Amino acid sequence: MSKKEKKVFSDGSEIIENNRSLDDQLSIDLQDVDIYDGPVAIRINKLIKRFGNFTAIDNLSLIVKYGEIFGLLGPNGSGKTTTINIISGLSKPTSGQVIVLGNDITKDLHTVHASLGAVPQETALYEELSAWTNMSFHADLYGVVGSDRGKRITEMLNLVQLYERKDNPVSTFSGGMKRRLALARALLHDPQLLYLDEPTLGVDVQSRRAIWDYIINLKEKKGKTVLLTTNYLEEANALCDRIAIIDHGKLVVLPNTPAELKQRYGDIIMDIETTSSITSQLVMHIQNISGINSVTQTNNILKITMSGNDLSSTGNIISLINKESNIKRISQREPNLEEIFLSLTGTGLRD
Amino acid sequence: MNKIKSTCIYRYIRVILAMAMKDIKSSLTERAFLLTSIIIPINFLLLFLLFALTGGQAPTALVVEDKGPFAQQFISAMEHSNSFIIHQTTSSDAQKLLQLGQIVAIVTIPANFDMALKHGSQIELPVIINNLDVDFTNDIRRAVPLAITSFYANAFPNQVAVKAYEIDTYTHDTDYVHYLVVSLMVVSIMLGGLLQAGSNAAREYEKGTIKELLLSPANPLAIQIGKIVGSMILNSFSVALMIVVIVFLIGVWPQHWDELFVFTLLLMITFVTAGLIIGTLVRRRQAVVPLSIGLSIPIFFLSGAFGPAIWGDPVTATVTQFQPVYYGIAVFQHAFHGFTTTPTGLIVDGLILVVFAVVMVAASSIVIVNVRKRGVAAK
Ligand SMILES: Nc1ncnc2c1ncn2[C@@H]1O[C@H](COP(=O)(O)OP(=O)(O)O)[C@@H](O)[C@H]1O
Ligand SMILES: [Mg+2]
Repeated sequence: MSKKEKKVFSDGSEIIENNRSLDDQLSIDLQDVDIYDGPVAIRINKLIKRFGNFTAIDNLSLIVKYGEIFGLLGPNGSGKTTTINIISGLSKPTSGQVIVLGNDITKDLHTVHASLGAVPQETALYEELSAWTNMSFHADLYGVVGSDRGKRITEMLNLVQLYERKDNPVSTFSGGMKRRLALARALLHDPQLLYLDEPTLGVDVQSRRAIWDYIINLKEKKGKTVLLTTNYLEEANALCDRIAIIDHGKLVVLPNTPAELKQRYGDIIMDIETTSSITSQLVMHIQNISGINSVTQTNNILKITMSGNDLSSTGNIISLINKESNIKRISQREPNLEEIFLSLTGTGLRD
Repeated sequence: MNKIKSTCIYRYIRVILAMAMKDIKSSLTERAFLLTSIIIPINFLLLFLLFALTGGQAPTALVVEDKGPFAQQFISAMEHSNSFIIHQTTSSDAQKLLQLGQIVAIVTIPANFDMALKHGSQIELPVIINNLDVDFTNDIRRAVPLAITSFYANAFPNQVAVKAYEIDTYTHDTDYVHYLVVSLMVVSIMLGGLLQAGSNAAREYEKGTIKELLLSPANPLAIQIGKIVGSMILNSFSVALMIVVIVFLIGVWPQHWDELFVFTLLLMITFVTAGLIIGTLVRRRQAVVPLSIGLSIPIFFLSGAFGPAIWGDPVTATVTQFQPVYYGIAVFQHAFHGFTTTPTGLIVDGLILVVFAVVMVAASSIVIVNVRKRGVAAK
């Protein structure tokens, strides 16, 4: 089944890859959903959501297991928020079934809400009010009452390091602080399940690290189940046990782990800028070196995808290229979502 | 079992209080909106009052064909109404003045005025209007019935008068301004309630915080009641200020404070819930403001603001009975002046207002349940 094939795209770039066909992957992965019979936190079955004629979610099926961090990965407008909205009861499905913690969300929404903590994409904080007031309002809504109420709020604010700012209006907070506060608020009633819609959107690098740590802690120390959505492969990689990629509301691929996704595509990308383009025979030649997943050339830039940490072939590649052209620049990095998409679907991402 | 029930009620009340407090805090931080919802209603009241006081003095010729005591009283009622500058003349001189454009109307007190009143029969009061000046024309149309109201108030303190007009006891003179102020207060309560509650509901959608409410396991009805309570407390600042202005600045003293209190509360419930419905449906505060003002002004003119609505044209008089401001003005006229301006009377009008309040609360629950069913994300 595994074979190397060459794709040529309209912009002139070409890609040669080592892959199963998309249909094969999907049939296997969907089967996986059906045969898994361990404890399930969320089960989405043939979910469809239409806005008028526009289909935002197109026959989506997946499961989130108890105690895992599951990532819904996709570009802007792919339907991540719509999916989160439906499984949290904020939006009604056109058809399909969603079971959360054993409850059908069209019937027992109340039960689901009591054990769900959600951080919506837009945080839904009352910006004109203080951090403390936001927390205490949430406590009243969720029935967090009694003597340890204040203690619990303090504890959560300390967790996200915002206790010192508790009396400041949220409008004075940075994007990262708002996300952290929204996370603290979502944790206040000690929910079993957490939905985080783009948890690090608009957050600086330092805060992002801190938020990732909280999320990992939630799973490892508290045994929570987390469903998050993200635009960044890096984030999915850092946090998620399993991921699903969606685009146009459809499941693109469901590998079991981010590691597997990267393996399929390659771990490392080398960008080599040359003074002039090299021949396609040479591209083919490089492609056949072991450990190389794919090679593409666009405007004098060679993009080489490699598996594993074995960089021993680098020297070999450089000397091969030097036969036809001169190297101006070499850089190494992890693949991004755009590239994985291109490889998996043969089409680029929408922006 | 009992314990579970009582904690349930306790939680319910907590949600109501938390929601009310949250809305109050949010509104208090937003000076601009606080200002609009408190200042606009007062402005509305003062502006219309000013308009009535300055623009309402229409030069009018009075032709008196009866010299009896009732006729004299009627003339004095007209003179005190703040609406006319009266020239007493003969019929032919009046016609000349009208043609020269020096007066805008001729009111004739017919020779049988006293006789007819003594026998309790209906009187025709001929009013000729120069309809070139639309502004004045309208003033006359409103002012003549009011002069009649005032006249009856003085002439027959203990009698049921002709048409819909019934008189209880009178301790004060009522003129145009005193009547109008009370009507204006009712419409201002409406405007203030719509603005305040409409903003409180729309703000949640505008800022996306509605998700915090909809994702919570709290009882939706408790959330809604909390919003009603919060908006009412905020609205009461504006109403209290209005009462201070009316009582101390304009000098209209209510005869029945208890009625004023109860009916104010009823009207506030009705209009605050209406505001919540509007805010929930339009989801934008910028849309709430023009909608509230746009609703209040026509209803104001429809509701007998310048004189009992029942004396207006029959279509208006019928249509107006389907909306609460009509009854609001009626019961407020009673609370302030002891008047009854509707054929139904105080008790029935009060009960109709209770029905309006209940219907609005029910309608707002239906709207909220529907929003939950359809979801916020899907329009
Ligand atoms: N209420 C709505 N009405 C119409 N279209 C919508 C609505 N909500 C979302 N969409 C459309 O559905 C698609 C998915 O949106 P969304 O779920 O927000 O994407 P993501 O969160 O992945 O960026 C987009 O094309 C968006 O324009
Ligand atoms: Mg989104």
